[in-house]
Formats: sequence, C-alpha cells, structure tokens
Amino acid sequence: MTVVRVKDRAGAERDVEATNGVPLMETLRDAGFGIDGTCGGAMSCGTCHVYIDAAWAPRLPARSADEAAMLEALADFVELRPSSRLSCQIPVDDTLDGLAVEIAPQV
Amino acid sequence: MGDQINLKILLESQGLERSPFPIPTGWFFVDYSDALKAGELRNVTLFGQEWVLFRTESGKPGMSDPYCPHLGAHMGHGGTVCGEHIRCPFHHWEYDTAGWCKNIPYGKVTPPIVKKQAILRTLPMVEKYGMMWAWYHPLCAEPTWELPYIPEMEDPTGYTGSRRGSWTADTCIQEIAENGVDTAHLKFLHGAPMIPPVEATYDGPRMKLDIGKGYIVGDVYGPGLNVMRFNQHGITATMISYTQPISAEKSRMNMSFRHVDYPAGTPELAASKKVIDHMIGAAEGEESAGFESVDFIVWNNKKYRPNPLLCDGDGPVLQFRKWFRQFYTNLDAATLAKI
Repeated sequence: MTVVRVKDRAGAERDVEATNGVPLMETLRDAGFGIDGTCGGAMSCGTCHVYIDAAWAPRLPARSADEAAMLEALADFVELRPSSRLSCQIPVDDTLDGLAVEIAPQV
Repeated sequence: MGDQINLKILLESQGLERSPFPIPTGWFFVDYSDALKAGELRNVTLFGQEWVLFRTESGKPGMSDPYCPHLGAHMGHGGTVCGEHIRCPFHHWEYDTAGWCKNIPYGKVTPPIVKKQAILRTLPMVEKYGMMWAWYHPLCAEPTWELPYIPEMEDPTGYTGSRRGSWTADTCIQEIAENGVDTAHLKFLHGAPMIPPVEATYDGPRMKLDIGKGYIVGDVYGPGLNVMRFNQHGITATMISYTQPISAEKSRMNMSFRHVDYPAGTPELAASKKVIDHMIGAAEGEESAGFESVDFIVWNNKKYRPNPLLCDGDGPVLQFRKWFRQFYTNLDAATLAKI
C-alpha cells in the first residue's frame, strides 16, 4: 500500500492511497484535488503540476526533456519551484510510500 | 531422360506483383497554378493518400495532411483558409503552409511541441512552369535537389504551344519510365523501322537519354519530370512530361508540348505540330506510333519481373533500375526482394 500526503490548493493536507502501477496524476485526479490531467500523460497540457516535498524530490525519476519543456511553458502563469513535476510522469510503487506533494495552482 | 526442367522460370509469375514499389521520393506536379485561387482549399489524392491543397490570401500554396493533429478532424471538409493559415473547422486551430500551429484560440499554455516543430505534415512546394509542385518523401525529409530551368516553359518569348494532356495508367512511375531505356520495344510495340541506339548517363537524381543518336534527347529529373526534345524535320519540339503517383499502382501522366514560336504558315511550324502529333499517337506518313496508341495495353496489364530474362539487343534496363532505386527510402528486405 502506498500512501501519499497531499496538500490541496487551500492548504489542507490529507493522506490518500495511491494505486501502484499507474501515474500519480490519476490518483490525484480521481481523489478530487482539481487535477484535470487533460492530455492523459502526453505532457502537452500542464494541468497535473505538483510541487514535490523537497526531501522527496531527488528520490524520483529525473524529468525528461519533454516534461521540462512543459513545466517551462507553465512558468508564465504559475510559480515554478525546483521540485515542480508533472504528476503524470511519476509512476507509483511501494517505494513512494510516505511521499508528500502539494497541488500547484491552476493556470 | 533429359535434365531436370527449370521450374523457377515456369512458375515465377505466380508470385509477381504488378507494382511492388513504394511511392518514390522527388518533386511532383500537383496542379496548374491557375487552377487554385487565393483563399481556395480542396482535397486531392496523391502519393497514396488524401491531402488538403490550399492557397493563402497572399498567394502561397500549401498541401497538408487532412487530419488535424488536435482531434483528427478532416480539414478538407469544412476547413478554411484564414489569412496565411489553414484553419480546422472543429476547434479553429490554425497552421501555416510549413505545418506549424500558429493559433489555438482558447488554450492558455501552448503545448511545448507546438513551439518546437511543425505538428501538421505538409509538403514543401514550389511554383514553376505555371504549375504547383510538391516534394514527397515518405519520412518527411527536406528536398535534396531543385527543379531545373526549362526555357520552353519559362522564357517569356520564343516558345509557344498550349497543347497538353493527361492520361491515367494502372501502374507505377518506374514501370512507365522504364520504357525510356527499353529501346527494343520501340521497334516491336511502336513499329519504329529499327531498334534505335540508346545512351543513358546518370548523375545523382538526373538521367540523360539519347535515343537514336540525337533523334530524341531526354533530361530526366527524378521520378516526376522528364523533358524530351525531339529533333526531326529540321526542328526541335519538346515534350515536358510530369507524371504523378496517385497511389502505388496508379499514375497520372501529364504532358505539355512546346515548340519554337515560328510564324504562321511556315514549314517549320507545320513540322513542329506534326512532330508533336507523332509523340502522342499516330501521325500521317509516320511508321511508328506514339505512346497513347500502344503503351497503355502493356502498362495496364503487365507484372514486374525483378529478374527479367534479357537478351543482347535489349536496352540498359538494369542500369536504369539501379539508378531509380535511389528514389525509394528505408526499404525492408521483403520489398527489396520484389524490386
């Protein structure tokens, strides 16, 4: 079981159970955090942007060039942090148990 | 009993195909420039698929894949020309003639790939000889050579001739073009008095043909353009041939016939017109026949033999095939074996 601590856009925190084997975006979307995931993981919409807890950020797989480009495109609209990620690019498995993320603002 | 018979030659035709070739790479005629007005858009079938042909308000021609990269609407059904762009009817995404998405009228954040590259497949185009030409490459590579200067088509004075025609053949371009080096068929299919000598020289995408020691001199530019000059009766008449691959198995042959602008009533003018008649079909007093009357029955029914049984007296068919192979890209082993 993989439990992820999520801070929503209002600042409230809650634990959700993330499904192993699917991208974190789907769990956040289905749990009602206001994540659209419109493009389905194609890295073309930027609606699943999250900030990863600083301690966790280095433990995730590195950003691809396409993910970095999409994040960069968001910079005109929302704050980017060093730990900004597209949650569609974070595959969930047991090693992420205890991960803490914050939902980034909507563009 | 005698030796074992060679079954391969007896049975080989069962496995042969009529046109085993993919669409070749090169410049191809699309349509006459005056057949597409600024702001106009229509569907055309070429290179084995449908394309949307359009002309921007400033007059630039474009030719795109029909299906919008967004959600797949066919832009040739309800799409419009919008300034310098083609606009999809579905959500009004707009693309320029090079396929770059120039407007998404509602998205706030531009998807990164939209800024990085063209997302709609379009073909490079040029306008020359009063025609629109498109560069086809199966993997969207840029043109590697340019269309030539043709005085008969491009000099403002000195040449005339409005005669042109179109013929559809149920075969591929390579099969049609091979007749240019198949000199023996000129005697037996066309009825020429003798088998003319032929010299073919190859230089990259170009081939030069000399049939009958200067009687017909041809300049071939890739699979889509031939300029054949017929020197006869003291004049030179020119056949400009620009065949289109409609699909892998269907080709539309288009030709324009041009000659020197001789004054009315001169023997040179009469000779020019007669030579042109002779190129196409039967001409009075000529023993041999043009392509229209004899070649189609062969093209439309033959199969391609990758290992033909050639004899002495045949033309340089194999050299021609080796030259033509450069126009096919990324062939797999199965296709290579068939061609």
